[in-house]
Parts: sequence; C-alpha cells; structure tokens
Amino acid sequence: MGLKLKRRQVLVGAAAYAGALAIFQKPSLAEAPQVHEVRIKAFQFEPMHISVKQGDTIKWTNEDLAPHTATANEGGWDTGEIVKGDSRSIVATKGMEVDYFCAFHPHMKGTIEVA
Amino acid sequence: MKKLLTGLAVVGLFFTTPTFANDPAALSDVEIAHVAYTADVLDIRYAHLALAKSKNADIHKFAKTMIRDHEAINEQALALLEKLGASAKDNFLSQKLNQDGEALIAKFSALSGSEFDVAYAENELAYHKAVIDLVGNVFIPNIDNAEVKALFEEGLKIFIAHETHAEMMVKALK
Repeated sequence: MGLKLKRRQVLVGAAAYAGALAIFQKPSLAEAPQVHEVRIKAFQFEPMHISVKQGDTIKWTNEDLAPHTATANEGGWDTGEIVKGDSRSIVATKGMEVDYFCAFHPHMKGTIEVA
Repeated sequence: MKKLLTGLAVVGLFFTTPTFANDPAALSDVEIAHVAYTADVLDIRYAHLALAKSKNADIHKFAKTMIRDHEAINEQALALLEKLGASAKDNFLSQKLNQDGEALIAKFSALSGSEFDVAYAENELAYHKAVIDLVGNVFIPNIDNAEVKALFEEGLKIFIAHETHAEMMVKALK
C-alpha cells in the first residue's frame, strides 16, 4: 500500500515536473532564433522578401561569380563584400532598416519584415 | 535557268567570302577567350581612367564595380584555361578592340568634368550592349568546350547587370 502511494506520488511528481518543463520549454522553443537563408543568384536576392523575428539570423550566400553585398538603403547595416561561395550574416534587431540593396549593383533589391 | 543559278552562286560567294577571314563566328574557343579577356582589360582601363578623372561619386562606385567584376571574370577565365592546358590566342577581333580602345582612351583623356562623366557613362552603356550582343548571339552558340561555354554564360549575366547599372548612370547624369 505504502509502496503504491509512493509510486503514485512519484508518478504525479514526474508528471508535474514534465508539465513544468513544458511550460518553460514551449515559449523558449517558439522564440528560438532561426536562420533565414537568402541566396544571391543571377544578380537577384532569393527570396527577395523575407519575414523574420527579432534575434533571428539572416544569412546571405553568393552563388554568382561577381562579388555582392547586402547593404541597408540608408547604410544602417552592411554585410560587406561577399565573394563567390562565401556567406555573411546579420542578426535582426528591433527598428532595423528593412530595405536593402547590393552596393556594387544597385538595381539588386531586397526587403526584410521584422516581427 | 543555268545563268540564274550561277548568278545566285556568285552572290552567295560574294556575301560569304569577305566575312570568312574576319568572321567572329569562325573564331576558335581560345581566340574567343582572348577577345573576352581583351574586352575585360579595356573596360578595367576605362574604369581606372574614370577613377582618376571623375569627381562624381556614382561614377566612382560604378567604375569600382567594373574593376571588381571584370577582374573576377578574368581570374576565372585564366584558371579555366590553365585547367584545360590551353592558352588564349590573339586574333583580328582582339586587335581591333585594342585599337578602338586606345583611340577612346586618348579621346576621354582630353575631356573633364561632366563632359567626361557623360562620355564615360554613355560609352559604358554602348560597350556593354555590344558585348552582350557579341557574347550572346555569336560567341556562346559557337563555343565548343562546355566549361568555356558555362563561363561565358556566367559572364553574360554580369554584362547584362552592368548594362542595367550603366543605364541608371546615364539617366542620372541627364
């Protein structure tokens, strides 16, 4: 009897612990920073528009022979030169500039939506 | 009828023979590579001239892009030729490009201020249009080696992007 109770208590305790874990883990899993990949190919950002959350990483990879950049229109952030096969990343922040272009080829444009 | 056929044959000969010696479509892969390398080097020289002569920030940005991109293409072209164990071969078209280029550099050197900026921008637009036509319609369909062809296809994308950029520059200067 005593053993049974103990066992039940242990099980309840374990379930409560699992519940507590779920409470603590769920929000943090939902907010875990993501990495968003943008390919630079044939003088275009692919995709041209991305939606991200604060703290997420945006990673540009250049597949062209010509070097490129991802540079905020007003110069608030800049990946610097990305040569063929190379990648550069930035972390999305609140209030960051959302329109960007390639400083070397200004007709190449992209946008970021930060939630 | 026989006369007519002979006449047609002569007309055909007249149109094909003179172009045979100086026909860009008849160039070999290593000759095409030489033309492309020469055209790249000339555009890099125009860009250095622009950096030395112009005070316009947009012209400077464009010129730096020309140097960066055309050097990237040439570096890749030399690496490919080395891999293939081949050497670029001089030819009539490379020589003509060099002659025209020297004349243009002499002409541009005499210009200054906005006169230079407009002449440089308009030439870049015309030059890239001509190169796109030559590479897209004559060189790529006639290149035998698949790797050389792939490099020219990559180059063509770059020249089209430069044409768009040059158009923006010409418009901004007006």
